Amino acid sequence: MDRKVLVALHRNEVAPRFDLATEALLVTVTEQGEVLENKTMLLAHASGDDLCDLALNKDVGAVVCGAIEEEYYHYLRWKRVDVLDGVAGPADAVLERLRRGELRAGDVLFPREA
Amino acid sequence: MAALPGLDGLDFPGLLDGLPVGVAVLDGQGRVLFLNRALEALTGFAREDARGLPCRHVLRARACVQGCPWVRSEGEGQGGETDLINRHRRRIPVRLTPVRVRDADGRELCRLDVIEDLTPLKEMENRLSLAAGPGQMVGRSQAMEKLLRLLPVIAQGDSPVLITGETGTGKDLLAEALHKASPRSREPFVRFSCGPMPEELLEAELFGRRGQGADEGRQGRFQQANNGTLSLSEIADLPVQQQARLVRYLDERTILPLGADKPVRVNVRLIASTNADPEALIRQGRLREDLFHRLAAVRLHLPPLRERGEDVSFLLQHFLGLYAARFRKDIAGFSQKALRLLSGYAFPGNVRELKNIVEFAAMVCTSDQIQPAHLPAHLPGAHEAAAAPGRKSRRDRA
Repeated sequence: MDRKVLVALHRNEVAPRFDLATEALLVTVTEQGEVLENKTMLLAHASGDDLCDLALNKDVGAVVCGAIEEEYYHYLRWKRVDVLDGVAGPADAVLERLRRGELRAGDVLFPREA
Repeated sequence: MAALPGLDGLDFPGLLDGLPVGVAVLDGQGRVLFLNRALEALTGFAREDARGLPCRHVLRARACVQGCPWVRSEGEGQGGETDLINRHRRRIPVRLTPVRVRDADGRELCRLDVIEDLTPLKEMENRLSLAAGPGQMVGRSQAMEKLLRLLPVIAQGDSPVLITGETGTGKDLLAEALHKASPRSREPFVRFSCGPMPEELLEAELFGRRGQGADEGRQGRFQQANNGTLSLSEIADLPVQQQARLVRYLDERTILPLGADKPVRVNVRLIASTNADPEALIRQGRLREDLFHRLAAVRLHLPPLRERGEDVSFLLQHFLGLYAARFRKDIAGFSQKALRLLSGYAFPGNVRELKNIVEFAAMVCTSDQIQPAHLPAHLPGAHEAAAAPGRKSRRDRA
């Protein structure tokens, strides 16, 4: 079954904070790993409430973000939306993991250079 | 500073672990090299997990996303209040201070993000503002709601502010609220009333006095408020000569203490207030026009209570809640008669007078409702209403 995912973005990486994301990447991935939809939406302003609304209006099955406050997390879970939080990394790397069906909460996709 | 003896082999991580505040050590690109124990506890990240990550993905602070302190070069060493969301999905109010660590030649060795957990302070602030009440600006009328909406925005700036409003409308409170909501909130808030006093004393009070010999001199209000906010009430009471000195400060950001020959640079946000119409004061020659135009970069007017409509009943209930709690009394509200009486009153002393009336009423009230008899006798009609039905006067009883 196709999976629709919203990735909260800040510039070209996963937003460190769900409530401060200024862009949202909407991706639909088939079971075979094919990306059917890949659309970036600019948000009028950063708002956790608006992002929750967007996720529900777009009927997404999962949200990917960095930090998320408990109330948003539980609200989305209550609405049967999976929340993969604590994800850190460039948008491309996240998309690739999503395509392979291997993205998990807490994944760090930045190269560890230090 | 000369090299400190015995610190060559300093155990830097051990030192950081012993600190009661959170510290993240970052490289020049803002990647995490080390988290001390306090920050591990605060963020929920183990130092091994955080190592090599961009700091914004570990601290997850609002300031990291909305205006990284390391990008704003002027922000170095200056802390700012923000919040972070930790791994347990809890939002924590914090103060974030960026510090650059350099060697003796000024080369950057590493950067530190110092994080203080403000939760206990915020909780105490909430408790105190609820208990003390008068420390808070409140209002439901359109005029006050507009003002309260503007307050946080104006507080973020550094422009001088001129507050106008009749006596008792809360000018001092507004000045303090602006300071508390500003990035200068941790620095001093100094209030000075420009009431009549000998000119030389006034000058020393405001700008300080230079010491001579064993005399160390004295700090003026400007020096006391350095990096913070100086609130000058009744600005028009200030002699015109001192007003000229304020103009100079606003232009050059320097003051000249009494007896000094060199100006001293100070960093103060000026908030001035007056209960008179500034334009009329200029016409009367009591307020310098050039000072007015500089101060009025931001001008806020606090409307008198009689123009604040629904605020009267809101404030009555608000202050009653505060004073009932303070006097440990179970008072639910005002009787219809008391409310009618209070609603018809003009409150020439504005919110201050209303607050005093409610304090008095709550103090003398012995039932679960404030009755006209509990209101101060100077209130027109309070006596008559109290003596009328239900409560017989001495003459009636006789």
